[in-house]
Amino acid sequence: MMLRCVVRCWPLLLLMFCSSSANALQLEEKVQEHTLKNGLRLLMVERHDAPTVAAYITLGVGSVDEGNENRGVAHLLEHMLFKGTKQLGTVDYRREAPLLAEIEVTAEALSAAKVQTPRNEEEVSRLAAKLSELQEQHRPLVVKDEFSRIYAENGGSGYNAFTSKDLTTYLIELPANKLELWAAIESDRMQNAVLREFYTERNVVMEERRRSRETEPRGLLYEHLLATAFTVHPYRAPIIGWMSDLEHLTLAETRNFLHRYYAPVNTVIALVGDFNPEDAITLVERYFGAIPTGEPVPKVTAVEPPQRGERRVNVVYDCEPQMLIAYRKAPLPDRDDYLFDLAAQILGEGRSSRLYRRLVEEEQLATSVATYGAPGSRYPNLFVISAIPRSPHNAAEVETVIYEELARLGNELVSDEELEQARKQLRVGTLRQLRGNGGLARMLTYYQTVAGDWRYVTRYNEAITSLSAEELQGLARRAFVPENRTVATIGRSGE
Amino acid sequence: MRRFFSLFLVLLLVIAACTPITPRPDELTFPPLAFSLPTVEKTSLVNGTKLYLRQDHELPLIDVTAMVGVGRMHDPAAKAGLCALYAATLRNGGAGSRDGAAVDDLLAQMAGELGVSCDNDALTLHLSIPAEEIDHGLSLLTDLLRHPRFENGRFELARRQKLEAIRRQNDRPTSIAHRLLAEAIYGDHPLGRMASEASLQRIDREDLLVQHDLLMNPENLWLAISGDFDANLLKKKLTTLFDGWNSGGGGLPPLPARSAISSPRLLLVDKPLPQSTILFGELGVDKSSPDLAAIRVMNYILGGGGFNSRLMREVRSNRGLAYSVYSYFRVGRRLPGTFLAGCETRSDATATVIELIRQEMERLRREPVSVEELHLAKESLINSFVFAFTGTHAILTQAMRIDLFGYPSDYLERFREQVAAVTVDDVLSVAQKYLHPERQVLVVVGDTSVFVDALGAEEEVEWVDPQRSLLLP
Repeated sequence: MMLRCVVRCWPLLLLMFCSSSANALQLEEKVQEHTLKNGLRLLMVERHDAPTVAAYITLGVGSVDEGNENRGVAHLLEHMLFKGTKQLGTVDYRREAPLLAEIEVTAEALSAAKVQTPRNEEEVSRLAAKLSELQEQHRPLVVKDEFSRIYAENGGSGYNAFTSKDLTTYLIELPANKLELWAAIESDRMQNAVLREFYTERNVVMEERRRSRETEPRGLLYEHLLATAFTVHPYRAPIIGWMSDLEHLTLAETRNFLHRYYAPVNTVIALVGDFNPEDAITLVERYFGAIPTGEPVPKVTAVEPPQRGERRVNVVYDCEPQMLIAYRKAPLPDRDDYLFDLAAQILGEGRSSRLYRRLVEEEQLATSVATYGAPGSRYPNLFVISAIPRSPHNAAEVETVIYEELARLGNELVSDEELEQARKQLRVGTLRQLRGNGGLARMLTYYQTVAGDWRYVTRYNEAITSLSAEELQGLARRAFVPENRTVATIGRSGE
Repeated sequence: MRRFFSLFLVLLLVIAACTPITPRPDELTFPPLAFSLPTVEKTSLVNGTKLYLRQDHELPLIDVTAMVGVGRMHDPAAKAGLCALYAATLRNGGAGSRDGAAVDDLLAQMAGELGVSCDNDALTLHLSIPAEEIDHGLSLLTDLLRHPRFENGRFELARRQKLEAIRRQNDRPTSIAHRLLAEAIYGDHPLGRMASEASLQRIDREDLLVQHDLLMNPENLWLAISGDFDANLLKKKLTTLFDGWNSGGGGLPPLPARSAISSPRLLLVDKPLPQSTILFGELGVDKSSPDLAAIRVMNYILGGGGFNSRLMREVRSNRGLAYSVYSYFRVGRRLPGTFLAGCETRSDATATVIELIRQEMERLRREPVSVEELHLAKESLINSFVFAFTGTHAILTQAMRIDLFGYPSDYLERFREQVAAVTVDDVLSVAQKYLHPERQVLVVVGDTSVFVDALGAEEEVEWVDPQRSLLLP
């Protein structure tokens, strides 16, 4: 069960989104837009084949908007927003509030006492005991997981949220007659969230980190790749934060992040399914219309300095070898970004792609190979090639072949047939993403947030059709050079 | 005084009525949901192939699923992995006039996707194509089903890939735990026998040909096609393509006998990790059990209802000891499936969490659940019923699987009624009947030096080397 997850496979999803539709114009006609006075943007698509609605709320704020002092806070806040409001999740908020304040003061004192040198053990245990006593007193005032109960009783499905580098999304699918329930709960959550049970939830997130990074070779490797490829830009840090970040994240910082960024001006909602758009607009106006506009999330000012040489990290871990190779690249809507989508398709998508055919089928040096963009889309990011060597072959042998194929892309023009085929695959790939209500809602909120306009999707096909083989060749020559590269391997000897 | 009091009351009521109080979300009322079960066209071709169709013109895509009801549980004792190799080589080994590489090229030209997989009960082929490629797609499908080539090179490649997967099967603690649990519960039964280097080496290409001749015939084939096409035209095309393909003598192979009830075991795997993987399990039920609805409700309350379940509340929400904690019954289609409960927690909390999970199972066996919990579980299952009917292709393949595995045709509809009828006593009774903490298998993978002393010495600890199968003497 992946409740409230940090989306580890987000980069894989990105690639699938980065393509367009044969009936792009049809989609463009089907999407209805409405912007509230406070800046909240609503995107709607009617689909009446089943009596359900997918509702996605995306905040244009993610882990990239954190600094050193609050790394991990975007994701921790996402967890905390399942804890209720002033009316939900509590027996009586007025009785609860003073106790919450006392818990916070005690926990902060404990946190400070723990890092003091010399450490006063007596004081640490006194505060720890006081904290757990206060938490015990608090528990009877809590109505556990009440959002979850109400949605479940009403037939909600897939109630969840995810945090990525660029954004945070809260999602659910409901029977079509329950749309007002969603509006009532979510507008209450946006305005009146109470971050109760913070210190327990912080421990939950530490368990999530152990599970997805510290006992999972793929996660560990990916984390090392990012921390090596980026030095200054916040894309370098894991979404979930490092363990020491989590140990010291404060409730005050979490609350601050909520009040600074969770506002209509940073919010996109997509509704897809069986509903009447006029009614939905009335509903959203009624429930969300009075929320103050808020301030836009400021641009990240950190700029990754030019890379001046290959970077390499060999992670020592008890597992069979895996590897990642990354090249730095521009974000969408730069023309290079489209060219990298084509390169990804030609090199690593499907069994007749160049890398798959050579590495997995012909030379059998690897059991799998894949290409994707990561870790985010708003700022300069990475083109990643992942591969799993097949024993007795090692990562170095796989690496050599990958470089040969990258060089070939720079040395030889791609044929018209291969180019056209790659375009078609990208186009049809997007269509597949539109199939479910949830898939479409996710695409709309995603592109509205990272590209500033959901029409990025519908105009994508036009953009890739305009790319030439010469441009692709030029990109390969420019980008696939050692000094633009980071290589990460994992295994018992680090490689 | 009395009069004054009433006046006061009236005044109070007026004030209350004038204050704009937003109703709590759970006090809202809703119009009823208009919902009729979606229709699926069920038919069969003259040669006997069962065909399920559903047109959907929203997107220019077509999805095809072909199934044969033979899976891992039919693998011969010495040849564990046969079904998996058969599936991989059917996918990659060429078909008709095309070798494996040419099939992949064709798929790339079509922007098609093809996968063939094998689970406990069935072999499943899935093909996705844009609508404009219907002719190429159906002709490829026909070649794969009727004229697969099982090229030797691609067969060897499939075997090598599978061997590499075995080499990697201890990289992740969850995969170790699930494998050991299946071995301990099913023992020397196909569902307990894992593919090994030895078993894979015993399989040759001839085995795949025999498997194909025996199984892949119109009598055994189930086909579901959804998307943007004209149904009548499609049936004509298929009839032509399947012309001359008739059922041979091959029925399905016999089912292996069900395995014995498992005995309690505590299996420990030492891995120096900061988090322990904990997995409980025992033999569960198959689809013929009259208790399925009550089990579903009971398990929702135990660990299947996400944040509304007891395990999630006690282990995660109240104590912060896990991110994921769950329980579920895998209902077997032909033989009893498994009940599983599991979680991951930091090493020094391992014994505490094991005890918490056990206590929750014991409590369900001992005490009736509250009326509120029962109500929530039932409402959730009943009101989310509509989601069993979303997604055109999912609706279609669900209808097909219900028939393929011999569920009653009104299974889903009836299931909702049965859930509605479950009582507190039913929940208690199925908890007592199907949850046996005292005879479950428990696997723990983690830094054992931290927690082994805290586990208590009730069971005899078995230390397991994950490189070795439990079934080896």
